[in-house]
Amino acid sequence: MVYEKPLPVINEDNAPYWEYCRSHELRMQKCTDCGYVRFPVSIVCPKCNSMAAEWTPLSGKGRVYSYVVYHMAYHPSYKGDIPYIVAIIQLDEGPRMESNITDCKTEDVRIDMPVEVYFDDVTEDISLPKFRPAA
Amino acid sequence: MENIKDKAAIVGVGYTVQGKVPGRSSMSFHLEAARNAIADAGLKIEDVDGLLMQPPMAAMGDPMVAPAYLSQQLGIRVRFMAAHDDWGASAGCLAQHAAWAVVHGMANYVVCTYGENALSGAGEYGNALNGGIEYGMFGAVAGYALAARRGMHEFGTGPETWKEIAIAQRRWANLNPNARYYQQPMTVEDYYNSRMIVDPFRRADICLVSDGGRAFIVTTAERARDLRHRSVFIMGMGQDHPSTNVPQATHLAGPSGAVVSGATAFKIAGITTDDIDACEIYDCFTYTVELTLMGYGFFGPGEGKDFLKAERLAPGGDFPVNTSGGQLSEAYFQGFTPLAEAIMQLRGDAGERQLGPVTNTREPEIIIVSGNGGVLQTHSTLILRR
Repeated sequence: MVYEKPLPVINEDNAPYWEYCRSHELRMQKCTDCGYVRFPVSIVCPKCNSMAAEWTPLSGKGRVYSYVVYHMAYHPSYKGDIPYIVAIIQLDEGPRMESNITDCKTEDVRIDMPVEVYFDDVTEDISLPKFRPAA
Repeated sequence: MENIKDKAAIVGVGYTVQGKVPGRSSMSFHLEAARNAIADAGLKIEDVDGLLMQPPMAAMGDPMVAPAYLSQQLGIRVRFMAAHDDWGASAGCLAQHAAWAVVHGMANYVVCTYGENALSGAGEYGNALNGGIEYGMFGAVAGYALAARRGMHEFGTGPETWKEIAIAQRRWANLNPNARYYQQPMTVEDYYNSRMIVDPFRRADICLVSDGGRAFIVTTAERARDLRHRSVFIMGMGQDHPSTNVPQATHLAGPSGAVVSGATAFKIAGITTDDIDACEIYDCFTYTVELTLMGYGFFGPGEGKDFLKAERLAPGGDFPVNTSGGQLSEAYFQGFTPLAEAIMQLRGDAGERQLGPVTNTREPEIIIVSGNGGVLQTHSTLILRR
């Protein structure tokens, strides 16, 4: 089946992030000068402006910081998905990221709910990090 | 910093046809707004020697709107010019930069313009604003709804508070013949029955998308006195741009850019929140109004629920907010909506919705105006007085 939903726009800067996702690893850039783990991907550290960084592995565990439930399909490919959850996840290592929370009824999601990452292989090249309630 | 207080004034406002206006380019709305502002100020075309503009989002096939194309078509030769994209904070930022320019002699009369065929054109307001499209995060609504949910958690507000804002603004729009919702009231039931778009936001929490434009003209306080309308002086100004990407932002549920931007403007103006007669607040969503007023210090975290009551905010109330109907119920012009309304109110040109005896409200001497863009990423404040 052809995947018709919009895909992330991959560029020179964020390609490593998506490569790690493809191998089911959640990694983000950690500044090797000040230790800050940053997201989204950037060539400079927003804390110290250092350009030195390494791709550090993350546990994929975190909590819901905020969430919304889409009741309108802004793109035809989402018609079958509404209502769906979009959330900001506070990762244990510090950064936050946006993603979907699945395997959870829309009325059951709560702020501070523990969640964990899994990877949804939506195409041959793209695996999306998504979250579900922690076991 | 040299005190800019009361040194510059806004002397003309240009409106256009607005609402659903198919068959028009964004450029055409910029031009119509600009020529109307020049005419409103009573200036000759050749008097205008400065131009600042906020570009529209690029729509396929639409003529590119750049400052030089605007001055070319208006037939003006300017010695001060820039395109400014601070998103919804732009109107306030343009006014501030124009004020500094005229005070320092870089120009005498600066026209500041915005126009967009946002409703009928080919632009994509539903696109992702800060990324996240791969998770079905479409439109500005996603980021603001995430902010609002966090606000519910931290401040105990939510739809029961936001409905007060939406209903009060609709009551103002009911008095404004230019408004999308002129003479069309909103009841509490209408609010709750409004379609859920991205929970916690209903349709009634979300601003309009409009075709049209706005422009205004800034000059020095001295020159303003010779012009035809009552002068509106720029008493205070501020900016603060948290910029942060949405998930990392701590300003989703305050302290937003309004805190520093507002404090800067109040300091320059030498006044406090007690001196403000009305508020024209950038209202892309109802929650933005709550968060901005809190940031300006009108109430504290946790107090919004009791403070924000429709009878206070609406015609006849002691705390008038968004007196044109705002971007929720009049028309959405990226922050030019609240700014234009503040000018009309201070001039006494607001007709049926005029603050003062007409609407059983305080006669307006001082109005605060906010701009806000991205997902709470940019913020501008103006304090205007007559």
